[in-house]
Amino acid sequence: MDKTLEKTGIPTTEQVESAFPPQERLDEGAVAIIECFQRIPCNPCATSCPRGAIVPFEDINDTPVIKNENCNGCTLCITKCPGLAIMVVDTTWKDPAGLDRALIKLPYEFRPLPAVGDEVIATDRAGAFVTKAEVVQVLLNHAMNKVPIVTIAVEKSLMRTVRGIHLDARQRAVVCRCNDLDEADIAAYIAGGATSIDELKRVTRLGMGPCQGRNCVPIVQGMLARTLGVPVAELSPGTYRPTVKSIALGDLAEYDSARDELGDGEK
Amino acid sequence: MKNTADYVIIGGGISGVTVGYFLIKHGAKNVVILERDYLTAGATGRCGAGIRQQWGTELNCLTAKYSCEFFENAKEELKYDDAIDIEFHQGGYLLLISTEKELEQTKKNIALQNNLGIASRLLDKSEIKQIAPALSMDGLLAGAFHQKDGHLNPFHTTQAFAQAFKRMGGIIHTNTYVTGITTTGGRVTGVDTTQGHISTDCIINAAGGYSQQVAQMVGVELPLYSERHNILVTEPVERALNPVIMSFSLNFYCQQVPHGSFIMGRTCDNQPRDLRTTADSEFPVHMARSITKAMPSLKKLRMLRQWAGLYNMSPDKCPIYSGTPELAGFYTAAGFSGRGFMLAPATGQSMTEMILGLEPTLPWQRLGLSRFEEGGELILEPSVV
Repeated sequence: MDKTLEKTGIPTTEQVESAFPPQERLDEGAVAIIECFQRIPCNPCATSCPRGAIVPFEDINDTPVIKNENCNGCTLCITKCPGLAIMVVDTTWKDPAGLDRALIKLPYEFRPLPAVGDEVIATDRAGAFVTKAEVVQVLLNHAMNKVPIVTIAVEKSLMRTVRGIHLDARQRAVVCRCNDLDEADIAAYIAGGATSIDELKRVTRLGMGPCQGRNCVPIVQGMLARTLGVPVAELSPGTYRPTVKSIALGDLAEYDSARDELGDGEK
Repeated sequence: MKNTADYVIIGGGISGVTVGYFLIKHGAKNVVILERDYLTAGATGRCGAGIRQQWGTELNCLTAKYSCEFFENAKEELKYDDAIDIEFHQGGYLLLISTEKELEQTKKNIALQNNLGIASRLLDKSEIKQIAPALSMDGLLAGAFHQKDGHLNPFHTTQAFAQAFKRMGGIIHTNTYVTGITTTGGRVTGVDTTQGHISTDCIINAAGGYSQQVAQMVGVELPLYSERHNILVTEPVERALNPVIMSFSLNFYCQQVPHGSFIMGRTCDNQPRDLRTTADSEFPVHMARSITKAMPSLKKLRMLRQWAGLYNMSPDKCPIYSGTPELAGFYTAAGFSGRGFMLAPATGQSMTEMILGLEPTLPWQRLGLSRFEEGGELILEPSVV
């Protein structure tokens, strides 16, 4: 089996193709494209769909199956997918500019958000530049699970290639989303003599944000290993601290009464 | 590694880099800092980095005031580059007063502080409400406030000193472990490290939580112990708290750093004194209970991480700035008892004056080891956490 996805995090052309419905369905209107190829215990897409377009899972590890005839491209599932693996494509949009463009509705969790009318850089699944795209709509309200949806218009011929946007002409590769650090920032500190995650953490805040290093640390360990010429296994893993998951101070403060109510785990 | 140095500083925390910087500033040459891991790996990188001048003894007021004024001018003094931001936030320290006894002590402290040029003042509840609207007034009698107190980013502040130190010719060896100290005829002659030997006739022990271990290498027993202290940080949010809030009777301090996170700590019972910095699972619960009582609006704020660092405790909870009577060339800057960061500029200046034989700016002679001997005068500070 092709291991590209597991090794790079980027699906193959065949995988992307398999996520798209047939042309006849695309011609009928907006439809969700779910690029979820790995069996993991996750099902919010299926439970969120009010039209039963995502077939209920028998096993929570199932990958989603979409009934294209039930989907109306409402975008509800986009905001529920923790992996940001869903987008909606609409090839029936009446392009006011008279161009042959489709709409792509993408989850976009960075700040600042673009504004309607902005020209942004559309990227492929590896984050590389594909084309320039016009922002047609930006949606964010309290019901959206803090996942804004940015709608862009791109040439129909590129709608299978484009999967992201970025606003920054510098084309930075963001390494740490919590604290907005890019590869160049980190590389400069490594070149300056930093040799471990903990050391980088103390100058850059890498790993100190809400993700607590879950996203950035593996990437930066790779950078350290390549620059220092040492296998990742020989690098210090960095210090991980409690709690495993962020927890509200109010809940912590009530820990004892919760224990009285629920017991301490002994039956 | 160069195998000789005029001065070798053991410890790459805030104390080590300030001593190094001030030594060179006052004309010393060939100054080397040895750090076991990387800069700020010890207590400096784990501390709240608060600066307060509201103390109950003249000496503590003066040293803290000296440091605060230094930090106010740090950019001009150290000329660090724009990648560094020491984040000195002078939102003041607000000491909460909940008992008559605290009120009485605070009034005395304020009189002393005002005499020394520290513009602290007593606040009534309505004034507290203005300065910290998020605070609950339940059980509060009054507050003490000084606007020029505040907090810094301990990592960047250390980098700022290190950068100036290196620019002026100082050398820092990180990932370099001191394995032994050589002496002959009652004076030091050098240090053995994992990177080789350095000959020197002057060593400054600025090893923070590990300063006792360093002194033991030359058979000196410092009257110190290191104790674990816990701290936690929340997710970053818009600014909701300007001053550092501190309460002795409720036992906590809490601040919101410029980045948006709340950082808070308290003194816990039964903490290990064996150099452990592992997490205490009880601490976040007690901390959350105190802080949500003082600031109920923080109930929804999420804690991200807890950690711990070492307080290097001295018998009177004041630092030791001292030479060693039985061993010439062996100096100690330790025992900060949780205030090593706050006092760092005073540490650098005082140790430099002591070592180079300069006129004292601050009364550092009172902080020598001799104060713990019979007949010595301890500095008994009434206002420590």
